[in-house]
Amino acid sequence: MSQVASGSQADTSGEAHTPLGPLVLVTGKGGVGKTSIAAGLAEAAARRDGAAMLIEFGDGESGKRILGRNSKVIHRVVDPRVAMEMAIANLLGSTILAKLFLGNFAVRPMLRAAPAMRELAMLECVRLYADEVPGKLVVVDMPATGHGLTWLRLPVQMRDMFASGPIHDLAARIVDRLVAPSRCSVVVVTLPERLVLSETVELCRALDREVKLPPARLVVNRFPSELAPEAWDQTRALIARGGPEGEAAKELLRVMDARRTAREETLTILRELDPKKGSHVTSKLLFPESLEDLGAIDVASWLEARGAA
Amino acid sequence: MSAHIPTTIICAGGGGVGKTTTSAALALALARKGKTVLVVTVDPARRLAHAMGVEIDERVQPAHVEPEVEGKLFALMPEPRRSTPTFAEILFEGRPDDLARVMKNPVYLTMADAAASMHEIVSLVLIARAVEKQKFDYLVIDTAPSRNALDFVSYPGRLAVLFEGRAVGWLGGLARRVNEEGESVKDPGMFAGAQARIEALFARILNPRLLRELAQLFADLALVKDRFAELARTSETLLLGSRSRYVLVAAPSGSAQADAIFLHKKLTKLEQRPVGVILNRSDESPPPWLEVLRKSAGGWPALGAAIAQVDLELKTRRRAGDRLSDGLKKAIGQVPQLRTPTIEAADPAVIVRGLATALTPSLEQLAGR
Repeated sequence: MSQVASGSQADTSGEAHTPLGPLVLVTGKGGVGKTSIAAGLAEAAARRDGAAMLIEFGDGESGKRILGRNSKVIHRVVDPRVAMEMAIANLLGSTILAKLFLGNFAVRPMLRAAPAMRELAMLECVRLYADEVPGKLVVVDMPATGHGLTWLRLPVQMRDMFASGPIHDLAARIVDRLVAPSRCSVVVVTLPERLVLSETVELCRALDREVKLPPARLVVNRFPSELAPEAWDQTRALIARGGPEGEAAKELLRVMDARRTAREETLTILRELDPKKGSHVTSKLLFPESLEDLGAIDVASWLEARGAA
Repeated sequence: MSAHIPTTIICAGGGGVGKTTTSAALALALARKGKTVLVVTVDPARRLAHAMGVEIDERVQPAHVEPEVEGKLFALMPEPRRSTPTFAEILFEGRPDDLARVMKNPVYLTMADAAASMHEIVSLVLIARAVEKQKFDYLVIDTAPSRNALDFVSYPGRLAVLFEGRAVGWLGGLARRVNEEGESVKDPGMFAGAQARIEALFARILNPRLLRELAQLFADLALVKDRFAELARTSETLLLGSRSRYVLVAAPSGSAQADAIFLHKKLTKLEQRPVGVILNRSDESPPPWLEVLRKSAGGWPALGAAIAQVDLELKTRRRAGDRLSDGLKKAIGQVPQLRTPTIEAADPAVIVRGLATALTPSLEQLAGR
């Protein structure tokens, strides 16, 4: 039995999962397995619809590795410098003018020191890539830096600051086609660790309150599998015997307790996002601990089995 | 005001490798040796802050994860969401009117609020100010969880270029050339010089009101140029001076190995040689207690299953740790490796204490004498 299949009984959500898309933004802290979930969602959509796109920031190495060689998913990488050129060329209607403008002695240091423009350009680049596959699911593996929220708030801020003109239009276009609640779903990925989870709860609330984008899925990655309750009784019995065995059993008890605490704390913290408390996060998924690196196909199968793809 | 420059340890690595915890642990290990240490977290975690007894704000606060080291360990964990006012407050200290004007400038508010690197700049400025005010033996900086984390090393310089170069004056002048009625600069035609052409492009992208607000912002920032330059110089000495020490942090997960190699390359470009790479959650050998228990689990299926599960997890973790170690040896073999075990605990303070103990034998290598 694969690691992925086990532990599925622990899900907190019995509800049907709301459909995703057409654009899915996957966000979360670095190292939580965001790319695996994003690639899995794209893989499942590609199986279903014949094609899908995964958009990644950075160098694109991890997306490529997780998707594997035979994936039907179209993989695009957003490079900040290229994005800026694409966006400015789009604004000015010419690549040559854009190069001239970006090469200017005053423009260059200003753009380097005012990165809001760069982020807007990267979002514009996402929009342009997404236009390549109309009608197909586009999954964006959002950057880990900064608050996930900053990226989603930015287009509205820029649109309102530039009351008119091309940048206003650019920001408005991104608002309408990329981050409008009717266009996109947000998937938040997190880990069963106190530090990470409490931040996630704050993020989920802020997404709902500030940008009207409550997460369509909340995925807790690497959720430890459950051990039988008798294991605790038996371990305690060994401790009571004393001697080297008792000492060893103490160590095991510590490990078992830590795993159980992680499980319980996760469930407790997730309860703060209960719909009864006014939260709009209805789909909570507990992805079982699978210690080896997972491929996109494994994740896709798991999501499909849960009806969450 | 000249500052005492402490030994600065900068922890860099990809996301999720335990950088924040490692920084806190290194700081605690140094504090246990009687050193006065300031740990700075650019990407603060509330629970860790609380475990250390500090609030997430702009003050340097005494921290403790163990009662006996209280007073030697200080923490600075600035709130990312307050970066915009904090930056202006520090630069315009003692100039309430100018501060009020900047805080009303929509360009400043939007740009600063939206800029991901703003918080790192603010953190650096806060560090520089803290070092001016108080003497520390060591400074431990936890960088942002990103491949671009080291870009912040060059921020002070980049901003200085913007302020000191021709750019600010030119940008200010551009706004004056936009006439009062709000008409934009006229298209200079085919044969105009490159400068006029750029001005026209600018006017095409920005609207006149915004151009004026932008120019006002630059004029205001020019007032505090010297103060900024002073803080930038201190940060640069801390980050790239002879007493800076870089520590790479990795863990057997996702892209951590590729991130560490990438960051090493960036450091080489900055002419910095990392003093070590910490491999978190990379246990080296099976714990002896597991062997002892395996023999006594016979007849107790639930216990046997629990042992098997824990054993499987530890084994897989060890294999992943070995793979990471081999990969890093091949790519950046010249950087000494330090493997730390997984610390099984839910309480962040317990993890910090455990990791501090695990790092203590290597403290001299990481922190110097």
